[in-house]
Amino acid sequence: MSYDDDLYDDGIDDERRAARLDLRLWRSLFRYAAAYPRTLWGLAGCAVLTAIAEVSYPLLTRAVVDQVSQTGLTLTSWHTLEPIIALYALNTLLATFAIGGFIWFGGKIRTHVSHDIRAAGFANLQRLSFDFYDYRPVGWLMARMTSDCERLSNIMAWGFLDLVWGLTMMVGIAGAMLVMNVKLALIVLAVLPLLAWISVRFQRRMLTSARQVRATNARITGAYNEAIMGMLTSKAFVREAANGDEFGDLTGQMRGHSVANHLQSALYVPIVVTLASLATGIALAVGGLELLAGAISTGTLIAFMAYIRHFFEPVEELGAWFAEMQMAQASAERILSLIETEPTVADTEAVIRASALDNDGIETIELDNLSFAYDPAEPVLRGVNLAVARGQTIAIVGPTGGGKSTLVNLICRFYEPTGGTVRINGRDYRERSLDWLHARLGIVLQQPHVFSGSIADNIRYGNLQATPEQIEAAARVAGAHPFIEAMDDGYASPVGEGGSRLSAGQKQLVSFARAILADPEILVMDEATSSVDTVTEAQIQRGLAAVLTGRLAFVIAHRLSTIRDADLILYVADGQIVERGDHRSLLARRGAYYDLCQRQQTQPAKVQPPATTEDPG
Amino acid sequence: MNTQSNRQPLPSGLWQITAGQRHRYLAAVAAMVLTNLFLFAPPLLGKHAIDLVTTQDASRAIPWVSSWAQALNANSAAVLEPNDISLYLWLSGGLILLLTAIAGAFTYLRGRYAALASEQIVSDLRDRLYAHLHNLPARYYDGADTGDLVQRASSDVETLRVFLDTDIVEIGRTILMLLCVMPVLFALDARLAASSLVLMPLLIVGAWLFFHKVKTVFQATDEAEAAMTATLQENLTGIRVVRAFHRQDFEIERFAVRNGEFRDRNHRLIKLMGLYWSLSDLVAFTQIGIVLFYGAWLTLAGQISVGTLFAFTTYIAMVIWPIRQLGRILTDSGKAVISLGRINEVLRSAPEPERPVPAPARIAGQIRIEDVSMAYDDKPVLSGLSLTVAPGETLGIVGAPGSGKSTLIRLLLGLYPYQQGSVRLDGHEVSNCDRHWLRSQISVVLQEPFLYSRSIADNLRVGDGSASDDALHQVLADAAATETLAKFRDGLDAQVGERGVTLSGGQRQRLALARALLKAPPILILDDSLSAVDLNTEAEILAALDRRRGQQTILIIAHRLSSVMNADRIAVLEQGKLVQLGSHAELSQTPGPYQALCEVQLALEQTVTADLDNSRQAPKATTTADVPLDNRGEPS
Repeated sequence: MSYDDDLYDDGIDDERRAARLDLRLWRSLFRYAAAYPRTLWGLAGCAVLTAIAEVSYPLLTRAVVDQVSQTGLTLTSWHTLEPIIALYALNTLLATFAIGGFIWFGGKIRTHVSHDIRAAGFANLQRLSFDFYDYRPVGWLMARMTSDCERLSNIMAWGFLDLVWGLTMMVGIAGAMLVMNVKLALIVLAVLPLLAWISVRFQRRMLTSARQVRATNARITGAYNEAIMGMLTSKAFVREAANGDEFGDLTGQMRGHSVANHLQSALYVPIVVTLASLATGIALAVGGLELLAGAISTGTLIAFMAYIRHFFEPVEELGAWFAEMQMAQASAERILSLIETEPTVADTEAVIRASALDNDGIETIELDNLSFAYDPAEPVLRGVNLAVARGQTIAIVGPTGGGKSTLVNLICRFYEPTGGTVRINGRDYRERSLDWLHARLGIVLQQPHVFSGSIADNIRYGNLQATPEQIEAAARVAGAHPFIEAMDDGYASPVGEGGSRLSAGQKQLVSFARAILADPEILVMDEATSSVDTVTEAQIQRGLAAVLTGRLAFVIAHRLSTIRDADLILYVADGQIVERGDHRSLLARRGAYYDLCQRQQTQPAKVQPPATTEDPG
Repeated sequence: MNTQSNRQPLPSGLWQITAGQRHRYLAAVAAMVLTNLFLFAPPLLGKHAIDLVTTQDASRAIPWVSSWAQALNANSAAVLEPNDISLYLWLSGGLILLLTAIAGAFTYLRGRYAALASEQIVSDLRDRLYAHLHNLPARYYDGADTGDLVQRASSDVETLRVFLDTDIVEIGRTILMLLCVMPVLFALDARLAASSLVLMPLLIVGAWLFFHKVKTVFQATDEAEAAMTATLQENLTGIRVVRAFHRQDFEIERFAVRNGEFRDRNHRLIKLMGLYWSLSDLVAFTQIGIVLFYGAWLTLAGQISVGTLFAFTTYIAMVIWPIRQLGRILTDSGKAVISLGRINEVLRSAPEPERPVPAPARIAGQIRIEDVSMAYDDKPVLSGLSLTVAPGETLGIVGAPGSGKSTLIRLLLGLYPYQQGSVRLDGHEVSNCDRHWLRSQISVVLQEPFLYSRSIADNLRVGDGSASDDALHQVLADAAATETLAKFRDGLDAQVGERGVTLSGGQRQRLALARALLKAPPILILDDSLSAVDLNTEAEILAALDRRRGQQTILIIAHRLSSVMNADRIAVLEQGKLVQLGSHAELSQTPGPYQALCEVQLALEQTVTADLDNSRQAPKATTTADVPLDNRGEPS
């Protein structure tokens, strides 16, 4: 959960990305800013006006000085200054509005662009398939959606502003200087290439060390997160001192990197200022001589002195933005990939059109030679065949990692099969829309996820329009009603972040109630009651029979009580259905399922089977 | 561990937090004074040079510079020659470069000392927060929001760092500029100097108002961001549930509200800054204008020289621009105050109390619980519970969800306080024992086990740092995790967590069990640690535990009868009370909840046994191969 790019190896290399400016990338990102054309024009306009106002001040000062330095003038000639006063006042108003304006417009771009990128990212994240999430930790995604969004929108608002402002300033000042005195102007401009070269070099180095700072910072954030998540474990194993020592090393590293980064910028700024003063010194000497020779006015010299100070300001800023853009390219690429990635499981336009009017219920599901593999070398499912119909309960048993959950995930079309087909009501389910199928599902996962909010909110997630009575009825079937009622606020009791106020068993019951409330045509229970005691579980079983009537249910379970009454039991191992049949017929097979039942016995069977003498455990 | 950190006073304010580093800040400020002193000179050099050139009056020149110029020109006359003036100009230019370079060196020193000071403070604060988080009682985390705590420890500390690094020095510079420039200005011309202060009160009052406003607006923005982040994180962690219930549109709508809220709050904060900046610029430019035109008037009146006017316009800019920076500084300071407050909220929470370490390094393992009651927020979880476990005994604990099983374990570990009664290990009252000593007597597998993001070997060695690889393989075998390990390409070195291997619930439980087995203290506790493993695996694990019987006091909380039935005794909890206690043989014969449990199990087993018997009588199915394809689809 540490929100930084450097923690995860995602194949996007920061170093390589930073090597040169990739304009294509920035063009695609700039679309988000271009969605606000009037604001963007306003921002550019204000930047130009600000630059004009700033360039005008030295000119006005020059005019004043020139007026008053003419020899022999007295107060009687004050009126000659009056137009300048008026211009000064006008310029001040211009500056005020321009500055207020660029912050206003820039702020709008800054906040709206990050909002829009985030919204686009979020919307796409809701479409992307499970395989996308299998390889991208939540922390990685959070980093894209929070800090990357902010960073990029900063570049697009303030970087754009500084670009327009800086260029206007430099071009404006250069122009003003050239008009006033070409020789002096060329002296000042001569320093520029040197300064630009030093700036880019320095900024690159500073950003490299800044990246080390960020990477270490991400590790620190990660360490805090882990400390909090694993607090009980750390306390139980008396890890406080050891953790503290490790963390101390980390903050020590952080201090080292940060100080190094600071020293680089502490060195850079004086170098820029000193180079600027080289221009000032030469301009003073040469300008003084010109003044002495009468080639320029006093005001011009003073204006030059002032301009030199302003002229080098944007160099520093632009150098910094240029380097920041190079360094942020990896972020840009990541966020664009997030927005542009197409889900592996998706409907084609044709499918959406063709299935728009589908409103048939699920009657039969057939798996025909179904296969699935993340990695072709390690298939998870291999050529599974199965046919089931509405009203059936299918229990899936077998060892961990045998492919039980994958089988169910494929039936729900959370993953796309890598081989074979799934037919629903005789039609390939890829010819139907995902919405059609998913709206008919209800799922209880082994590791139940509850959202923060009240218990009622969590159950209602199954059916947003449900009445309190319906919620309670679902909770009763799930065996959750007794504990909910015993809580202080009943159904309104908050569950805490991630359900921290509920025990593991209670979370399972709540998510079970949620699935029941959804009134699905396919109900999937993946180890739904593993943390529930036997008595509560037996109660649930009694209520469940009524719920399952007329539905298709897939139950992954260890407990025989849940399995025994199933219409069809599948023993899945090594990606295949090894045995199938009902309880009785499978026992008659004396195969894997028979062994499984044997081990479930807490007491030695009355009649010892002749074949096995295994310890019943 | 870091207990002295708790004795340090809290850094109650932005000034207090600089304690211990003020010498460095002083050095930074001293370097800044020198920087400014050296930066004062170039405008003065410029003024004299311009005055000298415009008036051709030698008295307008800086005497030692003109002497130097004359010496270079080998001119011993009292009057300056044109060559002298030319040399004077070059000397002035050179001096400007030299003085700026010297000032630059001091700027570097300023940056260096400020960085050393601020980074040290921040690094200490991070360590302190981290240590404090470890010292906070477990109860604290029940009500805490992880995302929020992490935000305080990371972004609030970062906000503070920015303030400490740049703003303290900036504030010092602004004050210093005023203190240094004003005397110079007054020395140049008192009336003009006074006029340069006219609008200063307006700037200061405006800044003060802005400072207070920005604090509230920033807090609202910060909260909106936290809410947006929390919604995002919940969606991403629960994405499978979102999909399972087809709630994408609902989620997009929910996120849009938070996302929009954050955008609008943030925009409002920026607009506020824009308003302040433009207004303060209006005041600043007007102030410069006042000086410029009043100066022009004085020049026309013949009261001051053109050079003085030039120096004034330069100096006033030097004072005004830092004040203009005040907007940013005040924004940062306002944020820093809020952030420090949020950090202090964490630091202020009382840590676990310090208790003396009892005499024996290792207890025998007797647990005696007498009349213990415990309530969360006035809701009783345990009431009047009494229970004694003998050293070496294996005790099973069963009960419905919420009956107080896990709470009982937390009391034993000293993680939760109990309001009434007594919990003793070998006669040592738990609430009076040093918590580290106490926890070193107990090894526990928690209900929702946590593994650190490091290698499997490192995770196991949390139990015993000096364990050999052989010892690790032994406990992995005991925890039936050898096969799991074999699946990881890197074996013991495989990384756990987001960057490494993904573990199922059952795999996690088994690794946590192995870790607990590696540490071999007098008491071993399994809190619902076999729920996600299948029955074969459970049997293997129970057999391994059975080999330890008598060496450790073992508590097993479980839902399956098979997990507890072989224990020496079984405790049945119901709504925080001990309702039954005895061996499986005794309890299964006594009417009560345990018998009910057994009956459920028994009824099932009898049916299964009957099924098994029937199947034995029936002829064995002829083939063990998969059902032929043409059979599929038949409702069985």
